[in-house]
This record gives sequence, structure tokens and C-alpha cells, in this order.
Amino acid sequence: MSSRVQTNLQKVLAAGHFAVTAEVGPPQGPNPEPVRAKAAILKGLADAYNVTDNQTAVVRMSSIAAAKILLDEGLEPVMQMTCRDRNRIAMQSDLLGASALGLKNVLALSGDHQKASGAGKLNGHPGAKNVYDVDSIQLLGIIKGLRDEARQQGGDAITEPAPFFIGAAWTPLGPPVEFRVPRLAKKIAAGADFVQTQAVFDLKAFAAQVKKAHEAGLTEKVAILAGIIVPRSAGMLTYMNKNVPGIEVPEALIARMKGAKDAKAEGMKVTVELIQAVRELPGVKGVHLQAIEAEELLAEVIPAAGLTPRPLV
Amino acid sequence: MIVAEWKPLPELLAGLKGYKNLLLVGCATCVAECAAGGEREVNTLAPTLHMALKNQGQDINIITRTLERACEPEFVEELAEIAPQVDAIMSLSCGIGMQLIAERFLDKPLLPGVNTTSLAIREAPGLWTARCRACGDCVLGETFGLCPVARCAKSLMNGPCGGTRKNGRCEVDENTDCIWYLIVERAKARGELESLNQVRQPKTWSNSAHGGPKRIVREDLRS
Amino acid sequence: MSKPPSPGFSPEIVVLYCRQTLDAEAKPPEGTRQGDGFSARLVLLPCSSKIEAYQMLAILDKGADGVQLVACPEKACRFLVGNNRAERRVAHARGLLSQAGMAEARLELNRAAELTPEDLMNLAGRHAGRIKDLGPNPMKGGTN
Repeated sequence: MSSRVQTNLQKVLAAGHFAVTAEVGPPQGPNPEPVRAKAAILKGLADAYNVTDNQTAVVRMSSIAAAKILLDEGLEPVMQMTCRDRNRIAMQSDLLGASALGLKNVLALSGDHQKASGAGKLNGHPGAKNVYDVDSIQLLGIIKGLRDEARQQGGDAITEPAPFFIGAAWTPLGPPVEFRVPRLAKKIAAGADFVQTQAVFDLKAFAAQVKKAHEAGLTEKVAILAGIIVPRSAGMLTYMNKNVPGIEVPEALIARMKGAKDAKAEGMKVTVELIQAVRELPGVKGVHLQAIEAEELLAEVIPAAGLTPRPLV
Repeated sequence: MIVAEWKPLPELLAGLKGYKNLLLVGCATCVAECAAGGEREVNTLAPTLHMALKNQGQDINIITRTLERACEPEFVEELAEIAPQVDAIMSLSCGIGMQLIAERFLDKPLLPGVNTTSLAIREAPGLWTARCRACGDCVLGETFGLCPVARCAKSLMNGPCGGTRKNGRCEVDENTDCIWYLIVERAKARGELESLNQVRQPKTWSNSAHGGPKRIVREDLRS
Repeated sequence: MSKPPSPGFSPEIVVLYCRQTLDAEAKPPEGTRQGDGFSARLVLLPCSSKIEAYQMLAILDKGADGVQLVACPEKACRFLVGNNRAERRVAHARGLLSQAGMAEARLELNRAAELTPEDLMNLAGRHAGRIKDLGPNPMKGGTN
């Protein structure tokens, strides 16, 4: 990884601390205040904050702009970039712009298909043309090229290296499961410094995949941050288990949430247990926490898991 | 084959406003195979349009013809005799045939009766699925004969995204296979799973639509 | 298209029937017959699947008030799936009729077996009764 500029997340990981990242979804509007409000809730709770790039293919404030707002609020962003909406020209241009604005963590994703955008209550833009000029692994390579070779994908030089700490997503339990560790290896080979995983509920299955990655020597090359979604009800778990690819929720956990008197409190307890469990796995270097549209839960659960105060590095 | 689908009837009817004599042209090649523009579909659409327009108070005379191949000038020429009798031509051929017909009969409005949608196969009776996107940079040799450009919703080149369902279907459509799931299956069956570990670099799209309108020159065949 | 019953309206029904729906003893009737307040043109088919959607649409486009396709009962098709094919074609054609602003009820599929020629006329008569409420086919007397 680049030694030129170190991001806070990079330094926390390098110092051997158990890292914490959280997610901030930009608003569906031009007002920066909702981003600042989320920043106020989340400040001090994590080492860096992912800013999503039009997640679920619904138009929101750009990840670059929202990431810059977070930065101005004193939070370190991880700017997400999907392959859905930009070709390699726009991607590289935006990456240079992001770097100029001080955004140094970037996470490359395939992105949700635009057809998904009309699936919920919103219209979205299912009639949109997608791009997919490059895929997420190729994007990792492009970012690495800008950083390590000061070179664009097409071969032209850029004036100076663009220092990025490069992230990727990993879905360890997605079918075909036997290809998920090799795919992680491809992401590392292409340029990933850290990965955040799809949400973990099935600890046994997750541990088995991490073990394979560990035995393949991958965990020395990449920092794995286990994805954790704070469960709020049995219904939410059932829904995710059924409808969100790559998420496996054990029946016992659904039953436990169903039997709980106070589902919210139980969900917090489950989250703390999950965090503690993944922390024990060799090769897991941190957690990526999400409380979908309920960021205030993170303010409770992160201290409850003993993850605050965050290290100053 | 080139696959097309009828345009929605209201769109067809709106385009026919004011016309009294229509030539409805089909093609006996690809669009016949995909049941969109062969003789049978021409014969189905003609009475449907006629009844619909008459119910809207418009009396139209529809002459039908089905060409052997609408993408060859020799066959399009067969319309020369009938074309002067009509005030518009609606074609159920693919976009290629349509343009040839439009070019041959410059004074006649050409109305597309179908949308050309894909390069596909008939997977089962009444089911057509995409197989190729004419990307100009074929990778089938490395993907065990399964095309990730045409058959992955995101045209991913390095393996499946996180959206593969538990049953191996695509997150975008529960009835569509995740093609990378199938590629991995075939690679495994061949004992060559490791061949997929190599990072595939960004594709060159310029040998197809992204290089500007395609033009192929073969000097040995030029007259 | 839905009008009050027209006085003196005698619906013309085209009955397309599968040979196998007839009683083995019956001589297949063909041609136009007069019923009570309707007429029926009886057309013999070797199988109900021998008729295409476009042919049924064309009959209605040319002005027949109703088309009655008579197929064998479920699982009793001599060609195994002919009657199911016929059912799907009728459904397809009815969809197109509806889009064309025509009453779907003008096209019907009935499943029957061991019919006599009189039974066929009765089927046509019952269809005619329903069509009387719709009024004459608006295509009557047009071009094409």
C-alpha cells in the first residue's frame, strides 16, 4: 500500500488496532444539513465513514460531495465508487477530483443494478442505461495505477501519483461459495488494501471462509473488516435472509429475535456478540457497521461493544 | 438470431393515424424464428390493427407481404410493385431490414412495428434468452463458452458480484441464471477453476458500437 | 362496441370444431346452418390446434359475430397437447382482441366430447345468446 499519504483508517490498521468503519447514506436532495446531522451523531465512533454512491441505484447527493462534507465536519470518509454510472474516463477524472478535495479512502464496487431502483417505493430510474465499462476489479486496478504508477488506464501519465487507500467489497457467502476466496485474491491482486464484507450473521460459515482466506495468505495482504448490520427485528432478519443475496441468517438467530421481549435491545446484544466473535477470527482486522437508516443505534452499540474511544494515531 | 418484439399496440396505432393504405412487411428469417415478424405475425397483426383502427373510426386497407430476407436488397426489391399503392410501410423486420426498406422507398414513411432487442436463442418453446451482445472482443474462450457480456446484468469480467442468489440466479431477475455461477460450474467440471483466478484487464469496446458506427472492409471481396 | 340489443340481430357464429369432439357415430357436419335466432358456420378441424390465432382474428375482422373453438376435454387430446395449445392461442387472440377494442367474448373455447351435430348447434346458440348482448360485430361491412 502507498506510503505517501496515510489515511486515518490506514494508520489505525497499521498500528494493529481493531478498526471500525460505519456507513453514511447521502440524502436525496441538495441540502448538506442531513449529512452534517449524521456526522454529528457518528463523530468519534468510527475511524472512517463509508459514503455510498447512489446505493440501490437511487439518485442521491454524489458520494464525492457528501464525503467532502463529512471531511469538513472532521470525519474521515471512505468514498464509494460504483461501476454502474461512469466509464473509465469519468471514474479517473472523479478520482483525481476526489483526491484534490482530500478524499483518500476509496472503495470500488460493481454497484446495484439500475433495475433495482424501481423495486421499492421509489420510481428510481429502471430505464437508465448502465455503463459497466469496467468492473469493480478492473476499477481497483485503475485506482492502483493512478496511485502506484501515476498512470491512467489508457497509459498516459498523470502529473503526480494520486494517493489512495483502496477498498473493496467482499461477499464471502455468496454463491458460488468456492469462488469467493479466489475472487478476494483477485481483488487483492488488482489493488485492494482493505475489504469490507457483506453483513455477517452466520458466524460459522463466515469463519470458514475467512479461515480459507487466512490459509491462502490473503489476510496478510488485505485488511478484512467484517460487515455487521444491527438487527432490529426478526422480520428484518427474515427479509434479509430471503431477499439479500450473500446474507445468510441462521434460523436460531431469527428465533432468538422473535422471542425477545425488547427486539431493539436484543438486536444491540446480538450486534455486540457478533462484533466480539468476528474479532476473535484470525485475519479479521475490524468491523464495518451499518444501522440502515437508524444511525443513532450506532452511537449506542459501538460503545457497548467496547470500541470507543477510537484510537488517535 | 436477431430478436425483436412487437411494439405496444397503442404506439403502433398512434403511428398509423391518417393513413389509408398500409403495407405491412415481415421477414421470414430471424424475426420469424422469434415469432415477432414472420408471415404468421404479419397475419396476426394485420387484422388486429385493422379492427383496432376501425373501432377508432379509421378505415385502413392493409396489404401484407413477408420477405425472404429483409436485410438483402434483392428481396426488398419484391416490394417495388406494391409500394406505390400505399402511403406508408410498417415493417416487422429487425432494425437492419427496416433501414434497407426505408432506403429503397424513400418517399414512403417507414414505421417500425417491432423493437429489435437482442441476439438470442430460442431456449425453449416460447422462451428466448440473450446470448451475444456483439461486443467486438470475444471472451468465450476464457469463460467456458458462456458470455458474461451479454448474460451478466453488469457485464462483469472477473467473476460474480455479490448479487448471486442462493439458487444461483441473478439478483436482477429471479428467472435468469447468474452467468458467473454457471461459468464457475463449468470451470469446476473441467477441473480448471484456477483459470478464472487471472485478473482480466479492462476490455476494448471500440471494435463494436463504442468505436463509432461499425464498418468492415475486406479488400479481397470488394468489387 | 357494447350496444343495447339490436332488434332483429341474428348473430353469425363460426364454429371451429375438432373431429375428435364428435360422437363416433356422428357424420361431421359442415357448412352454414340456421339456428333459432342465429346462424352457425360449422368448420371441421382434424385437431383444435390446427387453427392459428391469426385465423381466428381474421374471421372476426371479416365480420363474423363470434368464433367458437371446440376442443377435446383436458388430457383427452388425441395429439396429447393440441387442445392445450388451442387454449393458449385463444387466450393470446383474446388479448389482442381486447387491445383492439373488441369484446373478448366474441372468441370462445369450449371443451367437450361425444357431441352430436345438434350439440354443436346448441354450443353456437348459447354463444350467440351472449353475443346478442354485445350487438353486431362492428367490423361488419368494412374493407378488407
